[in-house]
Amino acid sequence: MKFDVIIIGGGLSGLTASIALAEAGKEVALVSAGQNSLHFGSGSFDLLGFDEQGKAVSEPIAAIAQLSEKHPYKKVQDVEKLAQQAKQLLEKAKIATFGDTTSNHWRITPVGALMPTWLSVEGMVTVQEPNQMPWRKVALINIQNYLDLPTKFLAAGLRERGVEVDVKAFTLPELQALRQSPTEMRSTNIAKVIEQHNLIASVADEVNRLTSNDYDMVLLPAVLGIKSNAQADQLLQLIKTPANYVATLPPSVSGVRIATLLRKRFTELGGTFFTGDQVVEGVWEGETLKGVKTAKLDGTVLEANHFILATGSFMSRGLAADYTHVYEPALGVDVDDLGLDRTNWAKIEVTDPQPYMEMGVKTDANLHCERAGKTIANLYAVGSILSGHNTIKRLDAAGVDMLTALQVVHNIVK
Amino acid sequence: MATETQTKNVSVNNFEQCLKCSICTVYCPVSAVTPLYPGPKQAGPDGERYRLKDKEFFNEALKMCLNCKRCEVACPNDVHIGDIIQAARIKYSTQKPKLRDMMLANTDFMGSMASPFAPIVNPMLKLKPVKGILHGVMGIDKHRTFPNYAHQKFETWFKKEAAPQQDQYRKHVTYFHGCYANYNYPQLGKDFVKVMNAVGYGVHLLEKEKCCGVALIANGLAEQAKRQGEVNMASMRKAIAKGHPVLTTSSTCTFTMRDEYDHLLGIDNHDVRDSISLVTRFLQQLIEKGEIKLAFRADYRKRIAYHSACHMERMGWVPYSTRLLRMIPNIDFVMLESQCCGISGTYGFKKENYERSQAIGEGLFQNIKEVHPDCVATECETCKWQIEMSTGVPVMNPISIIAEALDVEETRKLNEK
Ligand SMILES: Cc1cc2nc3c(=O)[nH]c(=O)nc-3n(C[C@H](O)[C@H](O)[C@H](O)COP(=O)(O)OP(=O)(O)OC[C@H]3O[C@@H](n4cnc5c(N)ncnc54)[C@H](O)[C@@H]3O)c2cc1C
Ligand code: SF4
Ligand code: SF4
Repeated sequence: MKFDVIIIGGGLSGLTASIALAEAGKEVALVSAGQNSLHFGSGSFDLLGFDEQGKAVSEPIAAIAQLSEKHPYKKVQDVEKLAQQAKQLLEKAKIATFGDTTSNHWRITPVGALMPTWLSVEGMVTVQEPNQMPWRKVALINIQNYLDLPTKFLAAGLRERGVEVDVKAFTLPELQALRQSPTEMRSTNIAKVIEQHNLIASVADEVNRLTSNDYDMVLLPAVLGIKSNAQADQLLQLIKTPANYVATLPPSVSGVRIATLLRKRFTELGGTFFTGDQVVEGVWEGETLKGVKTAKLDGTVLEANHFILATGSFMSRGLAADYTHVYEPALGVDVDDLGLDRTNWAKIEVTDPQPYMEMGVKTDANLHCERAGKTIANLYAVGSILSGHNTIKRLDAAGVDMLTALQVVHNIVK
Repeated sequence: MATETQTKNVSVNNFEQCLKCSICTVYCPVSAVTPLYPGPKQAGPDGERYRLKDKEFFNEALKMCLNCKRCEVACPNDVHIGDIIQAARIKYSTQKPKLRDMMLANTDFMGSMASPFAPIVNPMLKLKPVKGILHGVMGIDKHRTFPNYAHQKFETWFKKEAAPQQDQYRKHVTYFHGCYANYNYPQLGKDFVKVMNAVGYGVHLLEKEKCCGVALIANGLAEQAKRQGEVNMASMRKAIAKGHPVLTTSSTCTFTMRDEYDHLLGIDNHDVRDSISLVTRFLQQLIEKGEIKLAFRADYRKRIAYHSACHMERMGWVPYSTRLLRMIPNIDFVMLESQCCGISGTYGFKKENYERSQAIGEGLFQNIKEVHPDCVATECETCKWQIEMSTGVPVMNPISIIAEALDVEETRKLNEK
């Protein structure tokens, strides 16, 4: 089967590239082995949270200019413009976000820490300044027996910043029923139960019963709206006090929604999606990639003029390691292992910057991959598989995903 | 040694590859509608750790699993969650199948009993008192209508009307029609023959065809499924030896014979597997290689919504069918969101599953109503019953759509050389 462009990997970077190429009129196929890292996300998109000295970033564009040459952003020609395009791409997929590149705002993690971020989906709780919390008194309202919102940590985090916090919980018979299989009391199942049984009004009643205008903010776990924002928005309207959602531990309902809406947008644009299939090898002609073979299509070669590798980092199996080396398993392109031997891949202290986090596939200035030292002119890499940055220490994941993807689309389409 | 340990330490069904990320839970249609089901992660890799220690940990609630494999499609780590669950049911379940389960499972036995009496059986199965007995005594839900049994089996039609002409073709295929085309809907088989003949292929049947066994596996009759599977494999080997690929029209039969035979039943099918293909895939590949051409009627117009049946999704073959359908010039083609319809073969026929089955399908039914198509296209026959019953929209197999849209004379000419 022949396409204009084939994207390998259906996470945020692969979906962004696929949608932008389909919007540009290309015939696109997306091959993805299973779901992606969006399912663990916070409902916020980070651009650059911390600079290379570890200092929190408030003006990301200026801070990006200061990054070292090996950072993937250095291969993005106009960060500001592509960031705007990224936000519009999300909007067209019906993912409404707030925030922009002029200044970061702060998201609250499930364990009560504050992190600088770029875009957040409507309804998520954020603050402008970490040292000036906008609330005096907050009600943190959980669903009884829902364990993926660590309310003690969250409350402690807020109290440290001078906010008075009351932790409360409610339940409804339909939600209590979920406890019959205790392992299944998960965010996405709660979301499904609330939607199927039309429980929005009852949830709002419970929240209103537990709160009063003594609170200036009500925080609820983000467990609503797998397919769209509609019900999540509706609930906030029915609550009498100003209310917002706070991120939970995975699976993340907002992340699942983002992934679902992006996939839907791609399909509506006429894109072809090879779901749950894995690229296992490339078909090469000299230094040109002619096609890819997958685990499920037996002999069928998927051919294209251009290919984009967006298979993620170690956790998504875009990168792999054995006892001797780090490698890229799908196409065997060159990996930058920082010249380290195995004993130095990781540091003992988990909180130390981990060298393996900076490993990834090698690319040239136009994000082309290399194989056996030679540049592959029709194969690009985007997203977290790229070398040269540490997503945990820089908080730059979604930005790198989306901007490198849009840059490559630009490189291909022009 | 260390490398050896690392690279060779992969267990059956990749169960130790599970990262506990819970992504599978997000996509399980059963978890979504009932709190009584432990969910794919718990029923699959997590529970397996316990079951390996002590079979007492086996939980009969696992029978609620639809075997839709949507968890496997979603899992980023290639854990064969559905396989782990089905294998555990085969290995540990102590529940004996009821008479009802035996009836539902033995699709070909039921078919051969009913077909000769179709004019009597069909209306009978629709009568209120009969449905009452089926519901009350047998546990077959009263909301369900049995698919009609055809008076003339496909095989009978084929032998009389089609077989004599098949040797005149230069190229040949063997058709595994499955129980549904044989007993309930021979038109599907006729459509298959029409298209294959038009593109220059003669059609033959297997020396012996048995039900693929999917319903037997689901109903706890794995041993019988295995015996039937061996018969199919033996017949297929003969067809393949003659150079005939084995083509199917049903996604579930295809999936069962290619993947479940080996994974669940321990049938060695490695020499046969690659020669079993779905007809839409076979045609799409030949068109792509330039070996055949299709010509369509200029006046054919239809709004078609494609439903990705669970096992199509699991095989990863949806794009073959959709690309083939999209070749029809004047159709209006819509992709439905990929989600389970809830019937899962005989599952939805059981009284205890009816409500759950409909709740699972609700999202799909809504989607179909919004799209408002002239027909839904899907390769799965039980999806067809479920969608037709629940939405009133007619459902067609893609090959029947191709047959309907085809300009047979023109196609024949194009493929004559
Ligand atoms: C716990 C956690 C929380 C996070 N929270 C946030 C957050 O709040 N904000 C933020 O901005 N970022 C966050 N991130 C980071 C961000 O989600 C990821 O960096 C980003 O989504 C990576 O996107 P990607 O497209 O590069 O890869 P992935 O999302 O990892 O997707 C790669 C895809 O490729 C598939 N694949 C792999 N190999 C193959 C193959 N051979 N063939 C076909 N397909 C293949 C994988 O199955 C997967 O679906 C978080 C990450 C984690 C792990
Ligand atoms: S999706 Fe796969 S890896 Fe994740 S919990 Fe389920 S089985 Fe384990
Ligand atoms: S096979 Fe289907 S029903 Fe069974 S656990 Fe997986 S997703 Fe759930």
